[in-house]
Amino acid sequence: MQFLKDAKYTLHVAFHPFDGFWDLKYENKGKLRIALTILFGVTVMMILKRQYSGYVVNFNYPLDLNSIDELKYIALPFLLWCVANWSLTTLMDGEGKFKEIVIATGYAMLPLILIYLPNLLLSNVISLREASFYYLLESAATLWFVWLLFIGTMTVHQYTVMKTIMTMLLTVVVMGIIIFLGLLFFSLIQQFIGFVYTIYQELSLRA
Amino acid sequence: MIIFGLSPKSAQASPYQGYTYSYWGEDVKSPIAYLPSRTITGQELGIGPFTTPSDMFASSDGNLYILDSGNGRIVVLNSEWKAIRQIQDFDNNGKQDSFNKPEGIFVTGGGHIFVADTENRRVVVLDGNGTFIREIGAPKSEVLSDKFEYIPRKVIVDKAGRIYVVARGVFDGIIEFDSEGEFNGFIGTNPVQFDPVDLFWKTVSTKEQREKMIRFVPIEFNNADVDADGFIFTTTADKKTSVPVKRLNPSGIDVLRINGEWGPIGDLSRDRSAFIDIDVSDNGVYRTLDSTRGRVFTYNEDGNLLYVVGQLGNQLGTFKTPIAIESFGNRIFVLDRDLGMITEFTATKFGRLVNEANGLYSIGKHDDAAKLWEEVLKLDANYEMAYVGIGKSMLRQGEYKQAMKYLKLGNDREYYSKALTKYRREYMREYFGIYMTIAIALIVIVMAVRRGLRLRKGGMKQHAVSQGR
Repeated sequence: MQFLKDAKYTLHVAFHPFDGFWDLKYENKGKLRIALTILFGVTVMMILKRQYSGYVVNFNYPLDLNSIDELKYIALPFLLWCVANWSLTTLMDGEGKFKEIVIATGYAMLPLILIYLPNLLLSNVISLREASFYYLLESAATLWFVWLLFIGTMTVHQYTVMKTIMTMLLTVVVMGIIIFLGLLFFSLIQQFIGFVYTIYQELSLRA
Repeated sequence: MIIFGLSPKSAQASPYQGYTYSYWGEDVKSPIAYLPSRTITGQELGIGPFTTPSDMFASSDGNLYILDSGNGRIVVLNSEWKAIRQIQDFDNNGKQDSFNKPEGIFVTGGGHIFVADTENRRVVVLDGNGTFIREIGAPKSEVLSDKFEYIPRKVIVDKAGRIYVVARGVFDGIIEFDSEGEFNGFIGTNPVQFDPVDLFWKTVSTKEQREKMIRFVPIEFNNADVDADGFIFTTTADKKTSVPVKRLNPSGIDVLRINGEWGPIGDLSRDRSAFIDIDVSDNGVYRTLDSTRGRVFTYNEDGNLLYVVGQLGNQLGTFKTPIAIESFGNRIFVLDRDLGMITEFTATKFGRLVNEANGLYSIGKHDDAAKLWEEVLKLDANYEMAYVGIGKSMLRQGEYKQAMKYLKLGNDREYYSKALTKYRREYMREYFGIYMTIAIALIVIVMAVRRGLRLRKGGMKQHAVSQGR
């Protein structure tokens, strides 16, 4: 029952973001499990979307579809965003804790489910000429999501508007830096392992 | 031995593989559409070997005109491949004249032979027996610069008698002469194309440096053919261009139909195909000859790849330096310059079916075509064109749901969408009544239940009030 109540509250956040995000942080109404459920929901939604959108708007090569890939496209960026945002706001005196960032980001993704689901059904009955409505709704979902993310970030960290925009842009940059460092790390590890293995081979062949 | 016997083996061995490209740009194996049937050289004809032959022309009466460039002669073969005529010298107003490394030949419906006599810088017109009629020299006009050098390589003539010459080093397009041999102008200029990187270096370099750089010039045409409606097909060998094939209308505007993602560009690989000849056959089908891999790509009028024939190699049916392509009926001829040899390809069952089905399809007889497309699908279940053909036929017959299925398999979104619109309307017409009844019934029930609840609540309230009194 509590879960249902929390789930219903996500709608309140989506439609009344200022009020909603405030309560998430200060009235302790935000639940981590709800945020993660939304994340999971979005992932499932994207998988369904790729597979089942109407042929008229579906340009995916069926043999390339892989549900595991959605981790790469949704779960990883989500995690990266949260980590990057947290690392950045800690330095830029933001008031948000990591948990609060995860919750705000998770709740902000709700519109993606809210719009994509009816859009998915719609896409199966529209023709090419009506496809622009489909794309209109798609962009509406994205804009709504960005809007919520903006309000969420602003509320969680108690920032001004300009500072929020700056932080969000910088977060994207930091995400890029994290990916770069990650790749560098893996590349170095790989080289190192290769080096050790060659030495081992050399020794074992000589002995 | 047993294993060998069991392994699938093609009925006739072929030195190349048949394939087409799918909607997704992946090469898909397909049955071989044409097989090499015979080859012929000059020695076999008993007239001495061909020396760097450069062009040929299959005329409408089935004769094949070969321009034996190195020997300066025209060899005419009949459909049984017997040399019926050789044209070497001709009488040019009283003095003996001959060709000097000619590169292009064209024969009109009336039997007149046009030869682009390259090194003599002229176009020679002969009648069917090789008697000289006239010659057309370099174009004269104020628009041409003094340094203009006229090196005609290919010549074609349209129905109205206008003469089009593809010349080397001419970037302005194809040179057009009227039927009297007067210079009309250029048509179909290619746009200038350049690399953004080159442009960047050009803008940052000094004037002296810039003068030493290559100039950005339009790509020149390298070959041309004319179709039954008088439209000119041209090719460019440049590997960077995205439109190597053009179909020019009389005012020189490209009207080639490109249906789908790729258009007629040959192989979809990094090392692009370079088209050196084009041949237009019936129903808007055209074949291009690629010198990169020695393949013949056949496209229909919508720019869909029908099949691919040939390859570079040294077996029967492969080429060393393919230079010219012609087709007649269900046969394709490819001329090899260095080998001095013509290879004839004959359509297989698959090739004939595709040709026939596509022919009916292009004149709009979709229902007749659909029957043949079904035969094609029996031989090649991956042939997308066939699915589209069947789908369009079903769309006409009103089988919208089936049409949607086939058009989806053929990856034709436009017609799929048309079928969907029709199907949607049909579906709604059929089920509108039922759905509306259900909806109204639901609304009525909901209202009734609500009213019932309210009555009950009101009754209880009343009851409470009456109790309290």
